[in-house]
Amino acid sequence: MTAPAAIAPSAQRFAIAPALVPWCGLGVLTALCLLLKTELPWLVNFPKEWTLPLASYINAVADVVVAVIQPGFRALSALLDAPMRGARLALAWLPWPAVMLAVAALALKSSGERLAIFALATLAYILLAGYWPQSMNTLALVLLAVPISTVLGFLLGVLGYARPRWRPVLNGALDLMQTVPAFAYLIPLLLLFGFGPVVGLIASAIYATPPMVRNTMLGLERVPAAISEAGLMSGCTRRQQFWQVEVPTALPQLLVGFNQTTMAALSMVIVAAIIGGFEDIGWEVLSSMRKAEFGQSILSGLVIALLAILIDRLTIGFAKAPDTGPTRAMRWMTPRRLALSLAIALALAVVIRLAAPDATLLPETGLREQMGAVNQWLLGLVRDYAWFFNGVRNAVLYCLLLPMRVGISGSATPAMWGFSLPPSALAVYVVLVLALAVLAARRLGWRAAVAILAAGLVLYTGFLDLPWPVFILAVALLAGQVGGSRLGLFAVAGFGLILVNGLWPQLVQSLYLCTLAVLLCLLVGGALGVWAAHSERVSRALKPICDALQTMPQFVFLIPALMFFKVGEFTALIAITLYAIVPPIRYVEHGLRHVRADVVEAVEQMGATPLQTLLQAKLPLALPVVMLGLNQTIMAALSMLAIAALVGTRDLGQAVYVALGKADAGMGLIAGLSIAFLAILADRLIQAAVARSAAASR
Amino acid sequence: MPNTINRVRCAGIGLALMLAASAPVAAADLGAKDEPIKLAMLEWTGAHVSTHIAGQLLEKLGYKVEYVTAGNFPQFSGLADGSLSASVEVWMNNVGDIYPKTLAAKQIEDIGKLDLKTREGWIYPKFMETVCPGLPDWTALNKPDCVKALSTPETAPNARFLDYPADWGSRAATIIADNNMPYTAVPSGSEGALVAELEAAEAAKTPLVMMFWGPHYALAENDVGWVTMPPCKEQTNEHCITPPDVDKIVWSGFGAKWPAAYAFLKAFKMDAGEQEKMMLAVDKKGEDLDAVVKAWIDKNEAVWKPWVDGAKG
Repeated sequence: MTAPAAIAPSAQRFAIAPALVPWCGLGVLTALCLLLKTELPWLVNFPKEWTLPLASYINAVADVVVAVIQPGFRALSALLDAPMRGARLALAWLPWPAVMLAVAALALKSSGERLAIFALATLAYILLAGYWPQSMNTLALVLLAVPISTVLGFLLGVLGYARPRWRPVLNGALDLMQTVPAFAYLIPLLLLFGFGPVVGLIASAIYATPPMVRNTMLGLERVPAAISEAGLMSGCTRRQQFWQVEVPTALPQLLVGFNQTTMAALSMVIVAAIIGGFEDIGWEVLSSMRKAEFGQSILSGLVIALLAILIDRLTIGFAKAPDTGPTRAMRWMTPRRLALSLAIALALAVVIRLAAPDATLLPETGLREQMGAVNQWLLGLVRDYAWFFNGVRNAVLYCLLLPMRVGISGSATPAMWGFSLPPSALAVYVVLVLALAVLAARRLGWRAAVAILAAGLVLYTGFLDLPWPVFILAVALLAGQVGGSRLGLFAVAGFGLILVNGLWPQLVQSLYLCTLAVLLCLLVGGALGVWAAHSERVSRALKPICDALQTMPQFVFLIPALMFFKVGEFTALIAITLYAIVPPIRYVEHGLRHVRADVVEAVEQMGATPLQTLLQAKLPLALPVVMLGLNQTIMAALSMLAIAALVGTRDLGQAVYVALGKADAGMGLIAGLSIAFLAILADRLIQAAVARSAAASR
Repeated sequence: MPNTINRVRCAGIGLALMLAASAPVAAADLGAKDEPIKLAMLEWTGAHVSTHIAGQLLEKLGYKVEYVTAGNFPQFSGLADGSLSASVEVWMNNVGDIYPKTLAAKQIEDIGKLDLKTREGWIYPKFMETVCPGLPDWTALNKPDCVKALSTPETAPNARFLDYPADWGSRAATIIADNNMPYTAVPSGSEGALVAELEAAEAAKTPLVMMFWGPHYALAENDVGWVTMPPCKEQTNEHCITPPDVDKIVWSGFGAKWPAAYAFLKAFKMDAGEQEKMMLAVDKKGEDLDAVVKAWIDKNEAVWKPWVDGAKG
């Protein structure tokens, strides 16, 4: 379908497309910048004297504003503290047999006996690992954050649905809530709400609200016209129409939102623990990370992962019935029987507490201490395979990371690669890139040629030595041509803000780390996804691995990565890649599995080899889904920046982290907003590109 | 006349001193003993030990004690508004910008040193002495073979020095520059990263020089040497490593609310050697923190009796 566009009429091949003109101008500017680089160093390193102390302005304003509005927030904090305390006390009071009984009954009602068994196993694991009280504290936080987020999200979603004009503002706010790393706003929250678990609660609520808003809007919009008209014809008032027609119809989507909100709240547990205030499971994970105790960190991280999976399946089960209809166990568990089970659980709790008011009833297994063996095993690996890990690390550093960072021009020195390139070799390189570009221009159009030239330039100068005016203009031009002039202006404004705040070096580091991580994820994850799409066994083996990678607190993976590969960029790259590799695996597999079967069959009938079918039919057809996966990969990589700071990076994530350490609210916010800006820009670019290609193929 | 004024002034100062001295006596009063004293439980095991010893002794005095986990920087927000009552092991080299702010606003009070004998400096695993002969003297680090052994792709041609996390400040980089050492300081990101590197270096026998501090349980487990540092260019915190002070910080309303507890905490001290032993018992032998602390209290009544008796008046 796209074939005619590729074989452009030969007359047009030599005519210059109007969109190409600015790129040619940019090429001239680039050449100028590179020539003047040594005379005008500010082209590469934005001078310190030009930066604006915006962060200290923010701090000065914040000091005044906080003093004025603090009492109100402190009152709110006190108001929230009471139910929080209540929930913690109640959960601590409940003896574990009662909790197990209640959760098992709920699981049975939600999705049948298999989930009930999983729930019992999860709770038993928590009990045996010795994290029961901490887990109950975590649950208290989630139990409180989820209703707040759900109600708030529902209200905002209704607002967005009823007042479409406010939608852009609302969407912008939601994007920020989801992309600004929570580390960045912990300090302002701490100033406003005071020290304590309430800060963690608020942070969780902020992060967990957007999915509910988005799903509410989506659900209400998707109410079929036939249904709402039927409501109107039977004479509903506006209120009746909303509560009795639209909300029930949108309920499945609302429940999906509820599920996502719950998961988001749970994923913020660790961040909440950075503040402290109460001993929860996040605090345990952080402590074990601090001690570099891999065994304990797995033990406690697994609690979070299992809880996340359990809560996910529970809420999903209530959100939608299985395709095959309810199982026998689910039918047996009628609402009445469920209520009865919960009552029995409560009665059991009262009896136990009356019989033994002070007993904790928690078994002492010492499992936690035995995890020291895992550490010994890990250190054994480090000892025996040091040559291997060092080799991998050095190979990747020399061949991939350093050339990307300082470019071929910086790497080809005696100190780095052991030789320097003669001018003739450089000439060969330039000719090679030009030839490739010409080839691309002939076969794929001028856009591919510009992309190749840009890649050749970055590879030569490296990310660090790229002149910033060229970089900003190039991205702005790209954004303007793909997504319209507003997106282009947005890009200029965002990069300008980063520039004047003196965060350019950190931005370049972030870009370079994330670009590499995303490329690696796409390559490796994409390959795994393709494999999984063609083999049930691989698919089944990958699923729990993906679940674990996404629900385990990312801190857990930092410890072995540190021991194997030491502090540095490579370890950060590994950590980011491990987390961001899940979306490409999932989306590629999903996309390939849902390609229209008739098209694939037709292609196979024409005698295509499996590889041809994959590359020329399946992948192009699955492209929209794969692009969605790319989008998610970029978001995941950017969200890991703040956590990768713990292994000693020098990027925007580290800036956020340092600001957190120094309680510098202004710098934290600016660095956090910079990360959010990158995420939003990438998201809009990809969406616009997908929309364009969809329009082109239509 | 000046003489009289002086005399009056002296008398005034004397009176003030007398009042100050007699304050603890008046402080025999327990104060609001039914309201729990909230002690900050910081992130590291050493602080857990100090805090629990203080807590158990406060309980002996007749107080209720609550242990509240707190991040190292967030704790000052808690101490400033009284949601935390006291923090007994605050390392003054790592208090961020929030500490001087709250101290200047008189929201918190520094009630003196914990007397924990600390150490800070550059360390290396013991096997390094064969890699860089001449250690612990700092000049050994400058020898070409040593630099070559410590060099990594990221720092080449310089050697790699593993520094504190970026948010703890970087004196090592300044000292390296002061002495023209062929080293590049690499910030480590977190305490876990420092410990992980030390343990991995010990296991794989890979060369390593890094910034560290004691008492720390990692020192009890790994055999390390301390570099004899080059002379300081200036006697300031940026150019010089001096053992950090460890202070006890309380909420500004603490003294008025719990007078006896205030007097006790002022007197409270902690010995580094004892603390390290307890840390090892808790962290590596997996013993219960409460039990370890209780055993210490039962055995060392002579140490803490004066603090408690002084507080009772």
